[in-house]
Amino acid sequence: MLFFRSEERVREWCTANGYPRRPLVRMDQLWELAREWYSTRLQPDSRRPAPPEMRRIFARIGLAGDFWDPQSDTFGRPPRT
Amino acid sequence: MELELRTKLAIYEHFAAAGRRPSVADVAARVGAAVPPVREIFGRLREQRVLVLEEDGESIRMAPPFSGIPTQHRVTTASASYYANCAWDALGIPAALHQPATVHSRCEQTLEPLELPVSDRGPETSDWLFHCVVPAARWWDDIVFT
Repeated sequence: MLFFRSEERVREWCTANGYPRRPLVRMDQLWELAREWYSTRLQPDSRRPAPPEMRRIFARIGLAGDFWDPQSDTFGRPPRT
Repeated sequence: MELELRTKLAIYEHFAAAGRRPSVADVAARVGAAVPPVREIFGRLREQRVLVLEEDGESIRMAPPFSGIPTQHRVTTASASYYANCAWDALGIPAALHQPATVHSRCEQTLEPLELPVSDRGPETSDWLFHCVVPAARWWDDIVFT
């Protein structure tokens, strides 16, 4: 999970390192993720979002598709045979 | 309050106050318990994915968003300096602390420095981007790589 100056720099880095280019996230979207995951982290009732909650959070801030699905069979596990 | 919850809170309070990881002994002293049960709780918190521990089974590598070791993602506030585990966690530290902060990191391709002020309303307007190679369903397969 890394920062990049631009989409072009992401493309260059993925090509140079043999990684697939994944969906890009803007800083305002990243802040929403950071708030959802961590704003209660120092409190007694803190907990990490469960998968259904994660899906709702990702959808609300515009992160859609199997890449963001915490239980995706397409991206998350080897294909069924 | 149960010892496990007090242990978890003590770990996070130590990170927030000191900017570095506590030892098992630090946490045991803070919660008023012996070291062995607190060490055992560290293991349970690892199983719950609250902590990532080093190979010794007790040194804290990650208590997200805080990193127990230096990384390329540093976060400074008026009173302390922290290391984050990743770009996401770099914004997670001001979100957790509810304090203004500055994120110091870099573009992974060019190594251009990033200095990003973050207030309680979020980061200053920025056209930098976040990219993650690992899909959400596999983040915890190897959380250090993720």
